[in-house]
Amino acid sequence: METQTYTNPAKLTGPQPEKSRLRMDKLLQDRVYSLSITIVVICIVASVVFPQNFPTFENLSQLLLNLSIDTIVAVGMMLLLISGMFDLSVGSMVAFAGGLTANLMYFHGFPVPLAITIGLLSALLVGWVNGYLIAYQGINPMIQTLAMLGILRGGALLVAGAGIQNLPYWFNAIGQSRLLGIQMPVWYMLLTVAVFSFLVNRTIFFRRYYYIGGNAKAAELSGIEVKKMKQFAFILSAVLAAVAGILLTSRLGAAMSTLGRGLELRVITAAILGGASLTGGVGKIVGALLGALFMGIVANIMIIARISGLWQEIILGLILISAVWLDLYLIRRSRA
Amino acid sequence: MKKPPFLLCVCTLFLSVLNSCELPPRDGSAGVQNANIATMEAGAVNPNEEYVMITTAINMPMYVNHDQAAFRRWGEQMGVKVSILGPAEWDVPAQIETIEQVIASRPAGLLINGTDPGIAQAINKAVEAGIPTVVYDSDVPGSERHAFLGTDWYQIGQMQGEEMARLTGGKGKVAYMGILGLTNMEDGFRGLLDVLKKYPGIRVVGRYDDKASVELAARITSDLLAAHPDIAGICGFDSNSGPGIALAVKEAGKVGKVKITTVDWEPEHLLLVRDGVIQMLAGQKRELFTWYGAQFLYDMVHRTNRLSGNDAQSGISNVPTSVNTGLLRITRENVGQFLKR
Repeated sequence: METQTYTNPAKLTGPQPEKSRLRMDKLLQDRVYSLSITIVVICIVASVVFPQNFPTFENLSQLLLNLSIDTIVAVGMMLLLISGMFDLSVGSMVAFAGGLTANLMYFHGFPVPLAITIGLLSALLVGWVNGYLIAYQGINPMIQTLAMLGILRGGALLVAGAGIQNLPYWFNAIGQSRLLGIQMPVWYMLLTVAVFSFLVNRTIFFRRYYYIGGNAKAAELSGIEVKKMKQFAFILSAVLAAVAGILLTSRLGAAMSTLGRGLELRVITAAILGGASLTGGVGKIVGALLGALFMGIVANIMIIARISGLWQEIILGLILISAVWLDLYLIRRSRA
Repeated sequence: MKKPPFLLCVCTLFLSVLNSCELPPRDGSAGVQNANIATMEAGAVNPNEEYVMITTAINMPMYVNHDQAAFRRWGEQMGVKVSILGPAEWDVPAQIETIEQVIASRPAGLLINGTDPGIAQAINKAVEAGIPTVVYDSDVPGSERHAFLGTDWYQIGQMQGEEMARLTGGKGKVAYMGILGLTNMEDGFRGLLDVLKKYPGIRVVGRYDDKASVELAARITSDLLAAHPDIAGICGFDSNSGPGIALAVKEAGKVGKVKITTVDWEPEHLLLVRDGVIQMLAGQKRELFTWYGAQFLYDMVHRTNRLSGNDAQSGISNVPTSVNTGLLRITRENVGQFLKR
């Protein structure tokens, strides 16, 4: 018996555009995806408008070099933001770690590896204290890290004073050497992003930070050692800031007590642009790189266009507001 | 065939990466003397000839009113393009980043505010790229800059020390404040202390970081006045120290009793001198830094004064290597002339 089946044409054609629209909405909500597209578009426009200055190897390698320090710090900040916290002392940590390492080498004749190790250990201690007081003693992260910002800035003044120059050659070589024509801090930045992306995406231990950021109480009830993990996140953030500080000191060939001023807000901005939220539970490590890259490209274009520093701050502020607003708009649209 | 062990592969990769790594030069020099500077014939005009000033804290009134105003005037007079770039805040790493990014666009010349010795590497990169580079305000030791114009901050400290000793009769408690950690200010502090040491009757009761903030300078001063009601004098070393100290001294009703010396000569500083709140200003001739700094750059580019067949190849520069523009001493006696300006 021949049977005929009736197929509603709407079922064949109708749901497909709906599906693709949903898929597109989902992709657009992924900040890594939307920011990547934005960055590509901006780069194309900048290359057309400034063909002599923007799309050159010299300019682009310099651009990457300039955002390398911020990105290394932003990786640690992204981890904290995923778990629903932040650290305002990272900028001072950059100055303190660089200053301490330089002080030990210049005034006390410490060998380069030992001085660097002590600089990193100081960060480990600072991160441990921050984490302990916040996770175990219940001090608000903003207050604790704000206090630590002041302590470390004062410490940086003590150890770096009016600045320390003439650092050992092999110390300067860490940040001033080049590989494939690109200065080393860029490679360290890429390595940091790759390692932490792998850890956060692929290891159960680091995935737990999403649960903590999403709902710390539920995470605790499910057996996650929330306090210990929070403390560990602060340690990682401080150590990454110290790595960045030592690298910056090496790159400049000088320690300065003024290094890292305002860095904390820049890296929080980069992380939020890259998809993090102050309420926690979301964000990707690669988002920190993209956020910093986006800000770096905008700043670079403004320098090429000879826009004054005053306007640069205003424009970057407007971009941040626009990015957060767009994010909220897309979330509302998807819920609707 | 046996597979090579993973560790061996990693080590080989690591060593090959290290092998292709290009180390920085040992002496940190940029090979300046032989760097080819893009030059033009004297009198030649290029509409794209651009001179870029790079500073930090770009909106600081002292910089806007003196350095930047003179630089713009110079650009208009010479018929060349001038640009002023740098971060809005006091952010030396951001200034370094700006210098390094501007190098890529190959301007005719760079006029750089010597905010910190840490900018030496960036200056050397500019020189290495063949861009005439002049540093102003404070010199940058270790840099290969072509010329420097500015004042000696040690002398600023000495001038304040001598004046404070004169005003206090060489006795009493004295404090000072500025931005701690900045090389030029530390030089100024050293000059002040070296002079005050000669007066055994003067006791230095503290050095403070006012972070270039009027509010903070005022708060520090009011705390000082509470802790040392008999304090004889306070010295300021950044543009906002003077107005902050003066505010707290006025509020405490101690105008004239507490002597104030400070730096810079913005309208607010001058009015405070006229009113007898501040006794002396150690002023810099900042207009000369940027006017003549820009002119030096122009003279290098246009080879205005040739000293040899090829100055760059001869390893010489055709502009002065270092210029001290000197200091202004502004007191109640001559402040009227500055207010008329």
